[in-house]
Amino acid sequence: MTQKTAALTVASPKLNQEVLIEIRKMNKWYGQFQVLKDIDFSVYTGERVVICGPSGSGKSTLIRCINRLEVHQQGDIIFDGITLTDELKSIDKIRSEIGMCFQQFNLFPHLSVLENLILAPMSVRNLSRTKAEELGLHYLEKVKIQDQAGKYPSQLSGGQQQRVAIARALCMQPRVMLFDEPTSALDPEMISEVLDTMEELATEGMTMICVTHEMGFARKVADRVIFMDAGQIVEENDPINFFDNPQNSRTQKFLKQIFEH
Amino acid sequence: MTFDYMAIWNNRDILIDGVLTTLLVSTIAIPIGICIGIAICMMRISENRLLRWSAIGYIEVIRNIPFLILIFLVFYALPFYGMRISGLATGFICLSIYGGAYFAEIFRGGIQSVATGQFDASKALGLKYSFYMRRVIFPQLYQYIIPPGTNIALTMIKESSLLSMITVAELTYAAHDVNGRTFTPIETFTTIALLYWLISTLFLKLTHILQVKFGIEDAQDGLAIR
Repeated sequence: MTQKTAALTVASPKLNQEVLIEIRKMNKWYGQFQVLKDIDFSVYTGERVVICGPSGSGKSTLIRCINRLEVHQQGDIIFDGITLTDELKSIDKIRSEIGMCFQQFNLFPHLSVLENLILAPMSVRNLSRTKAEELGLHYLEKVKIQDQAGKYPSQLSGGQQQRVAIARALCMQPRVMLFDEPTSALDPEMISEVLDTMEELATEGMTMICVTHEMGFARKVADRVIFMDAGQIVEENDPINFFDNPQNSRTQKFLKQIFEH
Repeated sequence: MTFDYMAIWNNRDILIDGVLTTLLVSTIAIPIGICIGIAICMMRISENRLLRWSAIGYIEVIRNIPFLILIFLVFYALPFYGMRISGLATGFICLSIYGGAYFAEIFRGGIQSVATGQFDASKALGLKYSFYMRRVIFPQLYQYIIPPGTNIALTMIKESSLLSMITVAELTYAAHDVNGRTFTPIETFTTIALLYWLISTLFLKLTHILQVKFGIEDAQDGLAIR
């Protein structure tokens, strides 16, 4: 993590300026404690956004609000023109358009890898089992673990499990992928296989919002890096300027801490 | 003192009837209790306040009054409201709602034991509540509910002895009957104890088979879920 001017290996897509997710003046409290303060940002179709910041700064809460795993109290979240409300039907619809990967993978332990993949396409998209399995195997091949289709999650390594989780989300052919610290629970030697998969996704033009501490990945893949602290967006910039020329003192302090080692 | 085997042998028909009645009451009340338990549990975790508080009320009342009082209430109070039901029917009803309250709490505990990430992942995929409860959450419950559920079912079998107080001719009632005829309390009640033990052991064997089937007792790697 010492190189200061890593080359951009993934070309930025031409942003057609079509807003996919818009968050306006969003506030969220846990009881008396305000976890998110006046969040205001938009994500364009095809854009790759990395959110970083110290733990407890509200990064995970923010992306969990986007598919309403957490409920915000003030402001608007608008996905593809639809404002998130409590109405279950529209929530399920929006969730089926948004893929998500979690720190702990959250694969279904009682189902085989392939069954994990076909559950939602069959139930939500009404695909036949044959069609869904075709789709599942396609994405398993994409994440390079097609030979593990019949195994159970507990028989796989952490890196393999996370790649299955990515494939499971992709099977719903989402408009955007949310990653909530996808590599934080992995042993070091497995981090790169997951990052490689994510990078490949980015290359194909997938819209991505990624909470991560992998600054190398952010520098290489992101179109925009957002730094959060104490529930606020403190700074956002393109990765080159963000890493080489941070403006805010809190950003400078954070970057100094993580690049010290 | 001699153990009077003949007193038991000569009244075997009464005892066999008692065993059959106990088995009948239990094998009907346990499944019904489980169904009530699932329904009450779903109400208990519902977002609807009315459903939730009704379930809490049910569970609190049933768990906090003695089973015998429940039996007396149903058996003696219902006729005042024009509902005349037999002792045996009272037995089914009381034992079922008694077990239902405990099963509901066991199911709730089980659902809470399933990792929250499983709910997150299900929701994130856009799965509907009823669908992911059925296909994702319930299949992971067995390991949490079968051991305590077995305990409650055993308790139900043994609590059914209280039905003798409202003239249901189950095993304990049969014991009183035999003892009244022969004045051999030690022989009779020892035999009854053995018969309850036998029923319970058979039941435990049955749940053991269930546990192996659901992979909870897996000697290979001790993994809970398969």
